[in-house]
Amino acid sequence: MFKLAIASLWNRRGSVWLTILAIAVSTLLLLGVERIRVQTQANFSNTISGTDLIVGARTGSTELLLSSVFHIGNLSNTLSWQSYEHLRELPGVTWHIPMAMGDSVHGFPVIATTDALFERFKYGNKRPLQFAAGGSFQQHDELTIAVLGAEAASERQLQVNDDLIVAHGTGEISFSQHDAHPFRVVGVLKRTGTPIDRGVFIPLEAQGLVHGEYLPADEHDDHAGEDHQHDRHEHEAHQEPPVYTLSAVLLGLENPALALRLQRTINTYRGEALSAIMPGLALQNFWRTLSLFERALVAISVLVVITGLLGMLTTLLASLRERRREMAVLRSIGAGPITILGLLVVEAFVVTLVGVMLGTVGLYSVLIFGAELLQQQLGIHVSASVLTLRELYLLLAILLAATVLSLFPAWRAYRNALADGLTVKL
Amino acid sequence: MSTCVELKQLQFTWPGAQLPLLSIPELTINRGERVLLRGASGSGKSTLLGLIAGIHTSGPGQVKVLGEDLAGLSQHRRDRLRANDIGYIFQQFNLLPYLSAMANVTLACQFAPARRQRLAQQSISAEAENLLTRLGLTAAQQRQPAHQLSVGQQQRVAAARALLGSPALIIADEPTSALDQAHRDDFIQLLFEACDAQQTTLLFVTHDATLAPLFPRAIELSDINHGGGGRDV
Ligand SMILES: Nc1ncnc2c1ncn2[C@@H]1O[C@H](COP(=O)(O)OP(=O)(O)OP(=O)(O)O)[C@@H](O)[C@H]1O
Ligand SMILES: [Mg+2]
Repeated sequence: MFKLAIASLWNRRGSVWLTILAIAVSTLLLLGVERIRVQTQANFSNTISGTDLIVGARTGSTELLLSSVFHIGNLSNTLSWQSYEHLRELPGVTWHIPMAMGDSVHGFPVIATTDALFERFKYGNKRPLQFAAGGSFQQHDELTIAVLGAEAASERQLQVNDDLIVAHGTGEISFSQHDAHPFRVVGVLKRTGTPIDRGVFIPLEAQGLVHGEYLPADEHDDHAGEDHQHDRHEHEAHQEPPVYTLSAVLLGLENPALALRLQRTINTYRGEALSAIMPGLALQNFWRTLSLFERALVAISVLVVITGLLGMLTTLLASLRERRREMAVLRSIGAGPITILGLLVVEAFVVTLVGVMLGTVGLYSVLIFGAELLQQQLGIHVSASVLTLRELYLLLAILLAATVLSLFPAWRAYRNALADGLTVKL
Repeated sequence: MSTCVELKQLQFTWPGAQLPLLSIPELTINRGERVLLRGASGSGKSTLLGLIAGIHTSGPGQVKVLGEDLAGLSQHRRDRLRANDIGYIFQQFNLLPYLSAMANVTLACQFAPARRQRLAQQSISAEAENLLTRLGLTAAQQRQPAHQLSVGQQQRVAAARALLGSPALIIADEPTSALDQAHRDDFIQLLFEACDAQQTTLLFVTHDATLAPLFPRAIELSDINHGGGGRDV
């Protein structure tokens, strides 16, 4: 009986292949969307770890999160250098990363910061940043130097010692380019799968320099030669700050449990209106606001699967017409209506099974061979890990739905009179 | 001698037709009988055979086959009766085009446990091969899908399918229409051998006058049928 179903399918392989293909494509889409959804969420919460507080000028937590972690948007409010000096003196603060944003290079955000970023910033499961080539700012005397994120470097095809021009503003095209200050690339970071990859990192002093806020010591000081050994990362309190304002400061605490108390302290700081957020919590809240988009994705893929299944139903119903004779012949030699019903259900099951397997194989080939392209074109990183339980359930649900759907044409075949097909002339 | 087929007050009208096609007051065919059924084209021969095989439905008590009132049986029981005890060579053969000749023949036993039982000594495929060979199909032809066979070859496959497992009643609707004389004689000989061995009843429709002398009993449909739906007006 199973053999009969296979032989009959083989006989109609042309249209059957199309049905299998439709089911494969919908399976591929469903699994693909599910993967992207889950992994996006994972990537999303992996963007930052180990940072206990993010501090900026008084603003919404999402805004601060977006600008400091995702380098999206332009914080109109900034915090002063004095506030930063206050923050790093707070009890319990073990490290601090100042960040000043606002400029861009060909659409890549420029983040002015200190070497603390390369030493202290962590992402994913507390992984530190690593250099693929070159190193941090500190080995270099000049100010107009830059460290590039992996993607920024590969997309602009920049290597260590290449020059790049920083434009003012965040647009792709900018009118006031800081032509006078070509930056030399001194380091390229390894890929992290986070927004760090798109960053162009320059020293704070360089930012001050191109904005005219900071004059290097040797330009307003006569003792140029002596100042050469000057360590610019340890400005004395009385010295001119490298920049007057910062966009955000990342703080690491001795004890993460202190974060809540410190947050309150910072939020009530009298010198300036500040906001402190806890990145984990803010990320969670932000993801929740994105859940509408997430649900839309799921809805779309479910609709795609339904379309695929309806396609199968139509083919089954259409094939019933041409198979009336086949069914009748089987009936005439004694196959009961239940056998006919079973034959159609088995057929639908086999077709869907093959389609689902093909779709899964397709997904993995896309993940394995297309991962590079996905990452480059869409910035989506999806790994070819084994099927999760949830994905298996989805596949089973498709199989089940197809089998249940096929009961409808099967029931029609069941009801068709035996004579109906036999009297169809050849 | 017990009866094999018994018709009483059979009335049959095709849906949509005004006059009944068949109206047969009485017809009895005994077990082991060989009956030739004759009639003009369109007179209702195939329809009558379909009624006897339970393919078309008749009223209660009108058609009895092997002691069973067909109208009184459930659909399932009727399917079983046909599969087990009736070998039907259709006028249009009704083979499954995508199966091989061999598979088409053995399929007859798949849904018919009684036929399988009667074959108990031999294997189903060995007997199917034997029948096909005797009907003149080479081993290669037996493995070809049915739609690749000539019309006459298909007719012989249909015949082999009906004979496999020795059913009690063989209904043959113009089974030699597509055969040359030599193959026709082979087929008739095989058919009669099978009937002799198993006390099989044979109901045979043909327009071939040369076959008439082989049948002890011939029925002219117009003699027993009082319905007029099939006649040209
Ligand atoms: N499925 C059907 N629906 C309606 N009418 C039918 C159907 N099949 C046959 N008929 C009608 O029944 C009549 C008899 O048909 P049938 O096939 O029994 O003739 P026949 O005696 O076998 O003819 P032939 O010798 O040509 O095979 C015909 O007039 C035909 O129009
Ligand atoms: Mg006929």
